[in-house]
Amino acid sequence: MDEVEEREKVEPKIFDKIGYDDIPGVVMTDTSAVSDFLKKTKVQNVLNWGRKNSLWFMVNAMGCCGVELLATGMAHYDTDRFGIIPRNSPRHADVLIISGYVTKKYLPALKRIWDQMPAPKWVICFGDCAISGGPFYESYSTHQNIDEVFPVDVFVPGCPPRCEALIQAFVELQKKIEAKKDKGTDY
Amino acid sequence: MDARSIIASLTDRFPEDIYDADVESDIRTVAKVKPENVVDVCRYLKDELSFGHLCCEFGIDYPDRNEIEVVYTIGSYEHPVVLNMKAVLPRDDPQIRSVVPVYWNANWYERETYELFGVEYIDHPNLKQLVLPEDMLGEWPLRKDYKGYPNKTAKNLV
Ligand code: SF4
Repeated sequence: MDEVEEREKVEPKIFDKIGYDDIPGVVMTDTSAVSDFLKKTKVQNVLNWGRKNSLWFMVNAMGCCGVELLATGMAHYDTDRFGIIPRNSPRHADVLIISGYVTKKYLPALKRIWDQMPAPKWVICFGDCAISGGPFYESYSTHQNIDEVFPVDVFVPGCPPRCEALIQAFVELQKKIEAKKDKGTDY
Repeated sequence: MDARSIIASLTDRFPEDIYDADVESDIRTVAKVKPENVVDVCRYLKDELSFGHLCCEFGIDYPDRNEIEVVYTIGSYEHPVVLNMKAVLPRDDPQIRSVVPVYWNANWYERETYELFGVEYIDHPNLKQLVLPEDMLGEWPLRKDYKGYPNKTAKNLV
């Protein structure tokens, strides 16, 4: 314990002496220079290219649309070829697919999943229920207008939409990311 | 035992508590029960008349009559007769004894009727909401005068 404390005391002095700030070409990570460099230069295009080709989605089957979501992730549709891979942990996922009705009871859990996902992250509204409430749109237990809660990029209508529609949604999302029009990345 | 003799036996045994008893067909019977003695009636049904299976228990709201009916649908493994038994409760303060001591599976039915209609079950082992979120208790969403439906039309209605 003492050792650590001592080192903490000593370290600033060493930095002062060496003065990393002065070395040309070296950027300290505690400045905003790195994030400016990543966000405002052409590097962003490269990053976006990488991001759009690895849209791992959260397997979060909520309503009956969830079945289509699961089927999309399976071998038949083979979404791996687009870099779209189902993940079971929100910490691995880039895309949250709201696949069904959001009940008042489930909304806090969904928000929690969303908060656990590392940025940049995107939302797809999949199915009528997620868009407007669908068949349950005047129910006492569903939450309407879910796009006021999450920054939704793509809406997929249908009850349920087909798996191909979900793949197209991913393609649309890729186009949006490429054009820097998406809501998930902070530019 | 056929439907007629079952209803006869029930009304003979509980002349005070059973009223409006009727035989609708060979397999369908209806009766109304006084809420105070529903447990005794259920015990008699189960032990003596071999109505061993509580298929369903739920509520119906009648705002114009100011009543809430609790309906017990009870079937049997021995004979083909189904009994629809109703207990009429006042709408302002619906209280009834729980039948969990007789039919254990009434537990969740009663919790659901409680959260949706506000029927309070006396002596229920664990009377709390079943599937609704806790903060919706007290809204009683399946009562006919429930006003909590989303009042703004969904923006993205497809
Ligand atoms: S949109 Fe249709 S298929 Fe999808 S969750 Fe709603 S009811 Fe089910």
